[in-house]
Amino acid sequence: MDTKETEILGEIKSKFKVDGRIRRKQRMWISTDKNKLMEVCNWLKDRGFIHLSAISVTDWLDEGMYELTYHLWSYDDNILVTVKTKIDRDNPAINSVEPIWAENAQIHERELHELFGVKFKDNSDLSPLFLEDQEDMHPFRKDFDWREHVREKYYNKENERETVYYD
Amino acid sequence: MINEMEPAPKGTDYDLYFGPAHPGSGNFGVKLKIDGEIVVSARADPGYLHRGFEKLMEYRTPIQNAVLSDRLCVLEPLNWNLVHAEAVDELMDIDVPERAKYIRVIMAELSRIQSHIIWYGVFSMGTGFDTGFKMAFGFRDYILDLFELITGGRVYPAGYICPGGVRRDFPNGARDKILKVLDKMNEMIILEELENPTLDARAKGVGVLKVKDAIRLGATGPVLRGSGMKTDVRKDEPYEIYDKLDFEVPVRKDGDAYARYWIGIEEMKQSIKIVKQALKELPKGEVIDSAWKKPKLTVKMPEDEVYVRNEVARGEAAVYMVSAGGSEPYRCKIRGPDFLHMIPVLEYLLKGVQIADVPAIYWSLNICPADMDR
Amino acid sequence: MVKRSEKAKTMRKLIKAIWIFSWFNSCGFCELVPLVGSRWDMERFGMIIVGTPRHADVLFIAGYQTLKSIKRAKIIYEQMAEPKVVIALGSCTMTGGMYWDSYNTIKRLEDYLPVTLYIPGCPPRPEAVFEACGKIFEHVKELK
Repeated sequence: MDTKETEILGEIKSKFKVDGRIRRKQRMWISTDKNKLMEVCNWLKDRGFIHLSAISVTDWLDEGMYELTYHLWSYDDNILVTVKTKIDRDNPAINSVEPIWAENAQIHERELHELFGVKFKDNSDLSPLFLEDQEDMHPFRKDFDWREHVREKYYNKENERETVYYD
Repeated sequence: MINEMEPAPKGTDYDLYFGPAHPGSGNFGVKLKIDGEIVVSARADPGYLHRGFEKLMEYRTPIQNAVLSDRLCVLEPLNWNLVHAEAVDELMDIDVPERAKYIRVIMAELSRIQSHIIWYGVFSMGTGFDTGFKMAFGFRDYILDLFELITGGRVYPAGYICPGGVRRDFPNGARDKILKVLDKMNEMIILEELENPTLDARAKGVGVLKVKDAIRLGATGPVLRGSGMKTDVRKDEPYEIYDKLDFEVPVRKDGDAYARYWIGIEEMKQSIKIVKQALKELPKGEVIDSAWKKPKLTVKMPEDEVYVRNEVARGEAAVYMVSAGGSEPYRCKIRGPDFLHMIPVLEYLLKGVQIADVPAIYWSLNICPADMDR
Repeated sequence: MVKRSEKAKTMRKLIKAIWIFSWFNSCGFCELVPLVGSRWDMERFGMIIVGTPRHADVLFIAGYQTLKSIKRAKIIYEQMAEPKVVIALGSCTMTGGMYWDSYNTIKRLEDYLPVTLYIPGCPPRPEAVFEACGKIFEHVKELK
């Protein structure tokens, strides 16, 4: 039986070289290469996916890669498509999707630049959003252990009532 | 005579910080550039409440996260509890019993009514109708007493909606009390609907947002429905038992502050209808999956990823959870509706308005700064 | 005539009705706002919310504070006129509470501001807040 999801997946596979799977109804996951990202996103926007729900970064420390995910929703077909790409962890840089989804994409990328350190080319404003005077800290990376940081900075080793935090 | 006089000379321009310690602003600051009486541009200044929720969740197991997820937005804790529990249910393939699904929907809709009452109260305070503020917070306490009877806490239910179902069943007499409280809510709506000339003058035609701009800026929920688009996550991709219930989605085409306020009142009426239907059809049975009855300290989550969307009182909320085979989630991204409403939408709407209209626009967007900073 | 220190003399001028400054930052404010409503009416005790720190007697720190907002709270504290009192609400001000391992919140309010009273709870009930306001006057009488 040909549902809407298999129809759209067939069209994408015939136009671009991507890996795709359908997990359950109304959910589709596509992986692509970072150089082809802008073409796939432009095609999806013209096909009806006008709402960008979220952009997220997952930090795979063992592989040394950042994985970017773009979650797109279509109001006409009621389907969610997730586009995933991988970029290098030590020097993360990728093209911004602000030309496609305007201010919605710009504010998500500004937050990710501050928390993970990803540089988005062509983004109009990458100034800090939540933190003040703490540039270059990038707190959400996996190699920054919060419990060690809090123990060093805030708790006191001399105080005997606080030794329980150092077990 | 006054019409033949020259207009007043142009004032100098200055900067104004509509800041966090202002009685009319909440915990959020907006930097305004003003020329005379007209706002030229606005820039949002978030970050007063940033705790780093997404990484805090990576250090805790799913049962501990269920308690932490109430505090994502302090004004509607049970709705956020539900999003997180649904994400873990789908990731670990848990079968939730029927009675638990009905109870989850009843608690989520009561929390939505309570959140819209707060919206009405602070919107009245922002436009100068002080009686509305005191009345709203008086009526809201009926629902908080109900929460205390069923879950144990007035504001934070301590993880009542957890992965696998709900923590405990309704006590005796809860059903009659819920019906009495719903009658009181009907009284409140009748008082709210009396035509108030102050509100008409201050809210009609102010802060207009058209549909194309709303979608481009990322608005969802009542803000998008107030501009004319008929969409609701409960109808587009029904979760829990919303496909078996009969309710409507109110829409208005004007896009101004009065349209959003009107939608808030209509949604309260629909929520009362949903709770009455769900109470009538409540089946008997277990309230939690048998494997999750005793809280386990270590669970093993399979390697997978999910994206779950829900409709909270302020718009569309989503959780993206990735698991790499351990007992804690590897990455948990939270998408809140207020992140988009408070930064792009507010900066767009505040361009070119008079200073006196700023509170009316600000409070009509139904903001919650805790949800934006996370 | 009882000899009292300078500080005790100024604190006794704290009149019987205390005025609160509206620094509603963080979780605890959701249980401070119902105090204004019609069920736990606080105006019958003489307490109102004022808009400027120069008029206020009491600063409520209603929960966790981040590094960005504690700097603003300090400026507000310095602008208040003597006699003044700081009340700390919730368990996040005592030990760090539920967000003890976050990089951006402060763990102990005592290191930053002088606290007079702590109210435990997460969040504390409105009746606890009224009882605490009553205890301020006993504390003032005992000061030497």
